[in-house]
Amino acid sequence: MANQQGNAYALTTLCPILSGVSADDPQDPFAGQSHTAYVRDFLQSLQSHENSPMAKVPSTYFCRFYLLSDLMYGGKPNSYDELMSNYLVFTANFHGPLEKYLEGMWNEARESIEKIWKHCVGFAGIDTADKFTEYIQKCQVTTTFFFNGSNDESLAEQLKALYLKQELSRFAFENQGKSPAELQRAFQAFVKRTEPANVNSPSWRPGQATLS
Amino acid sequence: MSNIAGKAYAMSVCSPIPWYSVWLKKLIFWAVGTPLFKPRLNGLLTLSLIHYARWVIVKPSQFPRLSEDQPREKLSYSYYFFFSNFNGSWLQYVDSFSSAIPDGLDMFWKWGVKYPKSVPMRPFHEHILFHQIWTEHYYSAYPMASSNDVKSAKRVKDELLEFIAHAEEETPEDFQKRYDRLMLELQHDLSWMEPSPVVSLSAAAVAKRRERET
Repeated sequence: MANQQGNAYALTTLCPILSGVSADDPQDPFAGQSHTAYVRDFLQSLQSHENSPMAKVPSTYFCRFYLLSDLMYGGKPNSYDELMSNYLVFTANFHGPLEKYLEGMWNEARESIEKIWKHCVGFAGIDTADKFTEYIQKCQVTTTFFFNGSNDESLAEQLKALYLKQELSRFAFENQGKSPAELQRAFQAFVKRTEPANVNSPSWRPGQATLS
Repeated sequence: MSNIAGKAYAMSVCSPIPWYSVWLKKLIFWAVGTPLFKPRLNGLLTLSLIHYARWVIVKPSQFPRLSEDQPREKLSYSYYFFFSNFNGSWLQYVDSFSSAIPDGLDMFWKWGVKYPKSVPMRPFHEHILFHQIWTEHYYSAYPMASSNDVKSAKRVKDELLEFIAHAEEETPEDFQKRYDRLMLELQHDLSWMEPSPVVSLSAAAVAKRRERET
């Protein structure tokens, strides 16, 4: 199946957005405008990097949201196509099977999921991970060709490896010119501190954008 | 709205393709996956700036319809979606493709409505820009890392674990010899990663606004 390359999965979804206007709500600054405008404003208000709600979703390498509200018309002699619905396009690259990923997404980012998808056709009544998985699968389109330019490691392995690359680079720089005995002692301390065999800690955090 | 998450750029392109090209394109993608045609992908592998990319063909009948109340799409064309996660700037990426694998690009985009071919570059740039859609929210799990960083980090981790496994009970002099060999082995993989430099004024403006808001 083209959705998968090794353990990496390419999820592509087109979720039709409700037509009309979302109900006014004094507590919600985005309410009272079209469902499409609501989704756009809400997505743009999300925090980035490790404060993104998607940073909490296990195994996410990359994901994006955009709105498909128009199709490109190249001019004559081509036909003019117009969409009957606007679509929320959600894509993700992650490690592992789809069902497990969507379950993790529902469990870790439910609040944001509901804020976004409640403006989509067919989402009303979705209140469990199983129902969310079923809903997303209805919106899924099959990937025709998936190119995996990365390695096939889990996200935790990749983040640990990046942490070790950073720390070993620092170690090599800071310990130039030391005597063999000093170097060996420093390396033993380095191993104790960085715990290379421990995948989970210490490591980079998902979405971490600064060195602090 | 930003196509940028640290060092990663999200390119999303959506372009019309005629109905008769759908199966031909699927045939091409199938063939590219077979050993006979796989060398045609070598250019893509050489362009090591890509984390993940995908092509998705959606026929008019395949646009999800989740309710009887949702109007059915009536489209003349099928649509060809392209999604890429890469590091570097838009221009670097598009020009790398255009320069390194023009034939491969033309093969993937063959039969696209008004596709101008990948060379010369100017019409190709205009075609991509015309069909590109901006991302509302983009997330990368490692905004400080390039695609090559992720791949080299695995080599560093593997070599380091191997090195530690053999570090028991050795003299400092023997340790130094093995350490020097490790550094030689990893000299192309070790580097210091930092937060991404600002690559566009709009990304800088978004970052500044977010700082004000938090």
